[in-house]
Amino acid sequence: MRRFRPPITVTVPMLVAGLMVVVGLVVSERVMSRLVESQERNLAQLSEAYLDGLSASIQPHMMRGDIWEVFDALDRSRDLYQGLQPIETVAVDGNGLVIAASDPRLMPSRAPLPEDFRARLPDGAFAIDPDAGRAYLRRPLDYHGTPVGALHAVVDIGYLLQERRDVVTTLIVTNAALTIALAAIGYLAVRRMVQPTRVLTEHLTSGATGRAEPIPEAKMPAPGSEAHRLYAAYNALVLAERERESLSRSLAEEERLASLGRLTAGMAHEINNPLGGLFNALATLKRHGSSRSVRETTLDLLERGLVGIRDVVAAALESYRPKHAERPFGPNDLEDIRVLVGPEVRRRRLALDWSNGLRESIALSSAPLRQAVLNLLLNACAATPEGGRLAVSAVGDGRAISIEIADGGSGLSAEAAKVLTTAKAGLAPSAEGGLGLWMVRSALDELGGEVALARSCFGGTLVRLSFAVALEAERVDAVA
Amino acid sequence: MRKTSPSLTPNVRRRFLAGLGASVGLLASRHARAADAPLRLGLTPVFLINDLQLLSQLKSYLTRACGRPVELVMRRTYQEITALLVSQRLDAAWICGFPYVQYEDRLRLLAVPVWRRQTLYQSYLIVPAGRRAEGPLDLKGDLHAFSDPDSNSGCLVTRALLAEQGTTAERFFRKTIFTYGHRNVIRAVAAGLTQSGSVDGYVLEVIREAEPTLAGEVRVLWRSEWLGFPPIAAPREPLSPERSDLLGDALLAMHDDPEGRQVLATLRLDGFASRPGSLYEPIAAKVALVERRA
Repeated sequence: MRRFRPPITVTVPMLVAGLMVVVGLVVSERVMSRLVESQERNLAQLSEAYLDGLSASIQPHMMRGDIWEVFDALDRSRDLYQGLQPIETVAVDGNGLVIAASDPRLMPSRAPLPEDFRARLPDGAFAIDPDAGRAYLRRPLDYHGTPVGALHAVVDIGYLLQERRDVVTTLIVTNAALTIALAAIGYLAVRRMVQPTRVLTEHLTSGATGRAEPIPEAKMPAPGSEAHRLYAAYNALVLAERERESLSRSLAEEERLASLGRLTAGMAHEINNPLGGLFNALATLKRHGSSRSVRETTLDLLERGLVGIRDVVAAALESYRPKHAERPFGPNDLEDIRVLVGPEVRRRRLALDWSNGLRESIALSSAPLRQAVLNLLLNACAATPEGGRLAVSAVGDGRAISIEIADGGSGLSAEAAKVLTTAKAGLAPSAEGGLGLWMVRSALDELGGEVALARSCFGGTLVRLSFAVALEAERVDAVA
Repeated sequence: MRKTSPSLTPNVRRRFLAGLGASVGLLASRHARAADAPLRLGLTPVFLINDLQLLSQLKSYLTRACGRPVELVMRRTYQEITALLVSQRLDAAWICGFPYVQYEDRLRLLAVPVWRRQTLYQSYLIVPAGRRAEGPLDLKGDLHAFSDPDSNSGCLVTRALLAEQGTTAERFFRKTIFTYGHRNVIRAVAAGLTQSGSVDGYVLEVIREAEPTLAGEVRVLWRSEWLGFPPIAAPREPLSPERSDLLGDALLAMHDDPEGRQVLATLRLDGFASRPGSLYEPIAAKVALVERRA
């Protein structure tokens, strides 16, 4: 199965977005880690200052175990250190009993420090619990080296965590906006960049299936640009192609006229021969027209001579019938060819075996097929030495026909065989002599026929043309 | 922490302060102050000594009323002010009824504040607003806040109450602390630092108006009988009696002066009045009761 490949206008913005996401993640990670570092450093410094100030004011009172003064200092410190937002501050004596706490209801004086509170206290001086949004501080107090107790504090760091969340949100929003903006810019830029290619691709695609059309002047980009040069080159190519096509048509026409010329010469000869007899018959009629038997014999001679002339002229006319008078190929067309080639056969004293087994007409345009068979037969005549033998055999009905032309020549050259057997012949070959076969090939392509080459029974070449058409009912079935 | 111990009864302190005062007095006599030296009025932490605006108004009024500079002298404890007063280092001082009866023989009354048209006040036992207690005996085993060891309403009244019950503060309460200020007693009880406290009723009533949130966190569990309001006293034998009288007269005339009335309004007082020393006999009886029990 062929994998789906999105267009470049999608892949480039996606790539840009992907890169931006990666860059955004890396930058965000760095910003956040620096922010966290900075916050924790500031918090630690602020906490140190808080504990320093508090220690200095309560240390003398702690030594005396003065509950009120310690409480008073803790209570007042709440207002003094607004930036730190302490939640709970506890002064503990050397025996681990609470001297006073900022909230005495939770931690009554002279009671042991509650177990759950003690469990949260850090081993060091400072610990952060981001889940609870709390920081825990601890400061041992001593007097001249003698421990007098410790100061514990729980600080609300919710505002720091909120700040982190705000920064994360800002980073996400900013990065997302940048990513979308850059992806959009990438899409527009790529779309703009590939626009000339797209136009060119459309023209090339339509050229492949039909007639290549030059890019109109209105669609041409500004002169001097890459796209303009590309378009100009394409248009030049199309024009050159058209010239060659036109030339090919001219050559084909010339070839047709040339073969017609040869036929005409043969026909003149063919008409000229009976003319002498006809004039003799006329003279005989003038002199002996009174005799009934002579008259009838002479008129019979005249009629047969004129019928022969009429057949030759009719065959020539049919070969030059205008395109709009197209009709299906039938047994009579093959007979016309026999008449047309007759003079050439006789001129070269060839023996032509003729077998017309076509039973009815077939839905194939007669003009190109007649031209193809005629060309092949003329080539066979030319290839067969004088006095040689050649044969035409046709079988078929309304669905398929097969026409074989066998000569006694020395066989087709490789180049000629290639011209005949290569489908989609392309432009007319420049080599002389190949034009007739090229026209045969064009006819085959046009009519959907096939050609087979073999050795003839006369030692020359056997060319077999095969055509088949689907009847109307079969076409319907095929579509269904 | 300061705590009233059985070894330091009021009598002992009285003798100590008398000796201290005599020594300082001798010293003072050798360095007689110039007659135009500022009048010195001592203020105990009875109330509002942290209100700087009030102090400024009081000083301004007294200076104008006395016609000479007045210096307001403040100390952390009653004891310090009492010592300065009996040693004649102060011309007058706003002290408590308890120190007055202790040194009645060496002090004379200059004026007594009039609050709600009488020169009396009460002592309160307070507890946190939400505490379920019905009487003073429910406070047994409390951590209890006193104001000052030399305060009548903030210590003596509760001690006398317990003495009547045949016990002492040290036995009745788990522990007692001194906060050295009636407002601090209210703070300690409101914060839950102590389960109960002894406080000046006048102070609590005024704080109800000035700081209703703080006052709302405590509840009055028990009120004492009406007792003599903390007086303004002078040394009975001052180096210069006129100096004390100047201050006394100024206080007595305070309610006649607009600036004086402003000070009184802040203090929520009606004025000052002359009263005999007998006003404090109920307090003297309490001192005797406590001393007997001790």
